[in-house]
Amino acid sequence: MKNSTLIKGTAAIAVGAALLLGGGGTLANWNAEATAAPGTIVSGDLNVTTGSGTWTDRSGNPVNIAAYKVVPGDKLTFTQTLNVTLVGDKMAANVATTGTATNGFTPANVSVSAPVLTVGGTAVSNPLKPTGSMQTVTATVTFEFLSTTTGRADTTASYNFNNVAFQLTQITQPGLS
Amino acid sequence: MRIKRSLEAAALIAVAVVLGLFTVQGTYALWNATAVAAPGTISSASFDMALQAVNTGTSTNMTLADGKTSATLTLSPAGTLGPGTSVYGGVVVTNNTFAGGQFNTAITAGQPGVANLNGGVLATYITVSAKLAASPTECSASTGYAAIGAPGLISPAVAKTGSTVFCFQVSLDPSAPSTVKGQAVTIQTTLTARQLCGVPSGC
Repeated sequence: MKNSTLIKGTAAIAVGAALLLGGGGTLANWNAEATAAPGTIVSGDLNVTTGSGTWTDRSGNPVNIAAYKVVPGDKLTFTQTLNVTLVGDKMAANVATTGTATNGFTPANVSVSAPVLTVGGTAVSNPLKPTGSMQTVTATVTFEFLSTTTGRADTTASYNFNNVAFQLTQITQPGLS
Repeated sequence: MRIKRSLEAAALIAVAVVLGLFTVQGTYALWNATAVAAPGTISSASFDMALQAVNTGTSTNMTLADGKTSATLTLSPAGTLGPGTSVYGGVVVTNNTFAGGQFNTAITAGQPGVANLNGGVLATYITVSAKLAASPTECSASTGYAAIGAPGLISPAVAKTGSTVFCFQVSLDPSAPSTVKGQAVTIQTTLTARQLCGVPSGC
């Protein structure tokens, strides 16, 4: 009886070993693998910074606005360069200006233009798109103390431009949501 | 039933609000950047013309401190006026503006008005003439005087900090009767300073 039990146990071990060997035989079959490289996703860029800002008179001579005093007939021009960075395959952005001045002159005696934005001498046509390098946008504002001013009107008056903000805002393009 | 409908309506509104918020948020989610420039403050100049009487040295600004009222400057003549003689006076006009750029002015002396005082008749025998000079000392020299015409006596351009001199000569007719002795007149003339346009294409 004991022998029978021993034989049964041995047979079970043998079957188990055979099964294990069968499993080992599976590793011997063909297999293959392939590797994909999805790559690295890099984000673009959008930025605007101010460059130099200068004032000039009607003849193009530089003016120190902190010390200069205008008289009727004067026309001053403020030129501000903006460094615009646009990177991205679907990048497009509008550039716009905002700001409110404080006018101490009689409105009829001065003529102040809204900021005019140009790129390479041509008026900006929104939206701006990447060009592969940083773009220089030039903003100009003119202030003219009209020569039609009479008497002693607007002597020792002031016109404060305060802060002029240049906003670069990305806009949606086909393929973006 | 009512409660169910209310719940449904509330849920619908909530969904709409959430969708609306998502929509708004989506607009702002795109990139934007801002750069700020400060162009500064533009200030205008003053328009100050200083007057100084030649004989007395009395001085004033053409426009008084209130910025509106015109000043009156007395030009006391040197000497006493007699028949066939003349007395002289003058005023130095200085362009005292602090304009940043060019600021030339022209000053005009209008035709003088002579008025009798205390019912006298002296004005009839008085002649006033004027000339422009480079120096106050030239006022006492009798040469160069002429009557002031209708356009007035106009100075050449007076630049910033520059000045010009208006000299006046008052003469009494040699035929003036002795009855005018001791009488007095007031002589008034108006000085007007005008900005000249010194900027090409600016005016």
